[in-house]
Amino acid sequence: MVPQTVATAMPLPDAISDLFGLGDLGLIGQAITAFVAAFLIANVLLVMAAFAGPWGKRKIFADFSDRYAITEHGPWGLFIIPAAAIQLMSKELIVPKGVDRPAWDIAPIIMVFSAIFGFAVIPMGSGIHLADPEVGLLFAFAIASLSTLGMMIAGYASDNKFALMGGLRATAQNIAYEIPLIVTGASVILYTGSLQMSEIVAVQAETLVQLGPISIPAWFAFVNPFAFVLFLAAGMAEVGRNPFDVPEAPTEIVAGYQTEYSSIYFVLVYLSEFLHIFLAGAIMATLFLGGPAGPGPAALGIVWFLAKVVAFFLLTQWFRTAMPRVRIDQLIEIGWKGLLVLSFANLLLTAGIVGVFFA
Amino acid sequence: MSLEAPHEDPLARTDDRESLESILGDHAIGWEEHVNAQGVVIRPDEVQSSLRALRDEGGFDHLSSVTAQEYADRYESIYHLSKYDDRTQEVSVVVPTAKEEPVSQSADAVYRTADWHEREAYDLVGIEYEDHPDLRRILLPETWQGHPLGLDYDQDKPQLVSLSEHANPIAEHHHDEEGETMFLNIGPHHPATHGVLHLKTVLDGETVVDVDPDIGYLHRCEEQMCQQGTYRHQIMPYPDRWDYVSAGLLNEWSYARAIEDMADIEVPEYAQVVRTMGAELCRIAAHLISIGAFALDVVGDFTVTFQYAWQDREDVLNILEDLTGQRMMFNYFRLGGVVWDLPEPREDFFESIRTFLDSFEGSVDEYHDLLTNNEIFQRRCIGTGHLDAETAKSYGCTGPVARGSGIDYDLRRDDPYGYYEELDWDVAVQDEGDNYARMLVRMQELEESAKIVDQCVDILEDWDEDDREIQSNVPRTLKPDADAEVYRAVEGAKGELGIYIRSDGSDKPARFKIRSPCFSNLQVLGEAANGEYVADLIATLGSIDVILGEVDR
Repeated sequence: MVPQTVATAMPLPDAISDLFGLGDLGLIGQAITAFVAAFLIANVLLVMAAFAGPWGKRKIFADFSDRYAITEHGPWGLFIIPAAAIQLMSKELIVPKGVDRPAWDIAPIIMVFSAIFGFAVIPMGSGIHLADPEVGLLFAFAIASLSTLGMMIAGYASDNKFALMGGLRATAQNIAYEIPLIVTGASVILYTGSLQMSEIVAVQAETLVQLGPISIPAWFAFVNPFAFVLFLAAGMAEVGRNPFDVPEAPTEIVAGYQTEYSSIYFVLVYLSEFLHIFLAGAIMATLFLGGPAGPGPAALGIVWFLAKVVAFFLLTQWFRTAMPRVRIDQLIEIGWKGLLVLSFANLLLTAGIVGVFFA
Repeated sequence: MSLEAPHEDPLARTDDRESLESILGDHAIGWEEHVNAQGVVIRPDEVQSSLRALRDEGGFDHLSSVTAQEYADRYESIYHLSKYDDRTQEVSVVVPTAKEEPVSQSADAVYRTADWHEREAYDLVGIEYEDHPDLRRILLPETWQGHPLGLDYDQDKPQLVSLSEHANPIAEHHHDEEGETMFLNIGPHHPATHGVLHLKTVLDGETVVDVDPDIGYLHRCEEQMCQQGTYRHQIMPYPDRWDYVSAGLLNEWSYARAIEDMADIEVPEYAQVVRTMGAELCRIAAHLISIGAFALDVVGDFTVTFQYAWQDREDVLNILEDLTGQRMMFNYFRLGGVVWDLPEPREDFFESIRTFLDSFEGSVDEYHDLLTNNEIFQRRCIGTGHLDAETAKSYGCTGPVARGSGIDYDLRRDDPYGYYEELDWDVAVQDEGDNYARMLVRMQELEESAKIVDQCVDILEDWDEDDREIQSNVPRTLKPDADAEVYRAVEGAKGELGIYIRSDGSDKPARFKIRSPCFSNLQVLGEAANGEYVADLIATLGSIDVILGEVDR
């Protein structure tokens, strides 16, 4: 395929542009529509994080451990969300004496930024898709891994030994798991033949097998389940959840790189964690589960897409309640000696599958 | 017995005066009769040679406790020796030192556990130990003036304590070497220290090079307070506050046993069964917390195991509340029995225990599923925090820590008290000595304790209605004979919980010393965790299972 110079389609901004007739305004119109579209998507994410963070996580954990949680705050305890928001924002921001500013202030912003920015190329279905560049998948991976930089800066700038250890652990962990993640992601490209997100979704929307009335879609998870499991494991480590939550490792290194963050900075760090889980879920849904394509009518694409993202979030919470944490050396060992080797084996396997069945 | 190789048969009795005379020879300069054991007086500059003879020739491999006290004319250190293979053999080695110059030889070279015990004696009483590797204060701040359990100490004088920044103690050793170390304060406020414990840790990367537990943050002068209370009623509430995580009745039993032996008080059989049942319920509750907290250390702060264990403990506490009227600070034992009989209607009470025991089997299986059968858990715990039997013995480890290192030692069986002898149960022992073995021991003990409770319920159900004597006759004001001394221990939740009491003929003890199992067990942390990853240090601390209320007293 010949690379085009400006192949970037912008489905959602274009739709907004058509709706309000802003197409005539040229570059300014593009900027306005892009901004409005980004604002909409960011808000969807923030609302999701608001539900997941102060409310969903507690409810889920309570359900896993046979308890009730949040019974006093409105219907199903939902008012805990504004309550927690006010509480967290009205707390004093404690700035420890030795922190290295402005690095210390930038770190949480980088973390949140990288998570939200990654969604720019994710097709969410029902026409909600900010940008669709040719290199969409590469862009998503590149942006998502920026958060490691944020963690490293946070660990270093906090002037706290626990934070330093957390930052170093985060760096080691992300390097070790980024490579298997991307190599496994590359196997999807063998299958779809494109890095463009819309193309990846389109390929998976086709029918793989027709079993009487039921048509199994050609989701890559069905084509190569092995790759899916690998990606899931590496993704779990990327977002730093059990059994791979060593960069934070409460009870070992207190809270790792986020130890010294309080008040609104804590909110940012925490928010970025949830957004990263969503982003990992979104990438996984796009690459392996057909993104917004299916299992139902395409018009409800956003529903299917969000359901898949939330399913991944629930999985992380389930693991969190039940899975022991591996030790840092075991983690690195699993990454370099296990997943890396397997991910390359998977690349060959996928090449075989694609070569034989989809040539 | 033959003196050439007496330790080949550890069960041969060497605790009578005749054998002690032949072992110690000229070292013995006097003899005392303690209620629990033969007391032998030795010179302060012959401590090491005397104890070494007792250990190597007499087979006394267990230094249970070191008691220090001040008399009007002298200071005295008492080394309470015993044997891991036969706990009924005891000897008290009394080391008097002069009032003007209270210097005595340290026993650290013979028994490693003497290290902390002698530091405590120095801290609280003021005896100085020669040859001690590290004679610093242990419970009180380093700048404290005076020794609070000494006779001339002014208790009303307030003291200001200054604190200095902690420094890397081995920084100079690593100068110019390729690795640089980092000093890390883990605690006193840290999610994993299970209370206010401060670990002065030196790390090389993620590896622990040196760890020095700094204790005393929860020191509440428990010994002093017990010395100010009357035997009959005023001391019994305190034991609940030592190992406060549900082990209350086990602790109360230690005081009850010591004073009952000392003052020759009989306990009715019925009361013994009730005591045994209550104590084992406490052990279940305490072990549940231990397992749940260990899951926190290894799994993380959102583990369900902790919540499940906490829920099961609630069920136990409900039963204990019905029995004693309290959920934590029971104050249920009395000298010569218990305070009141089982709650009426008895059938409902027994029913509630049986309901719990039935569901408890499933709970233990679930803990095995969540923890011990989990592959990641096994990778984390098998082979980490290793503690071999010899080291454990030298440090005076007892309880699940010792039993996890293959030491078959349980006071309930080896020095029987209560109703344990009549019941059918086993001592859980694992040989591996790692974190996993200690966890397995606790899991098995949950089941064994449940078995004991079950049998007690059967016995109590069939007990003759007219013969339910819950307390024997005890004088309203109890005054044991002057100068009577006793050291008695029971199997607490964490190990051997011993009490030393010396009477001066009044209704209050002249010296009340608590031998805390956690205190001795915590000492071994460095041995088990040095050279391992910091994550394993936390896991090892969790599996050693200390309650700071009992460490600091």
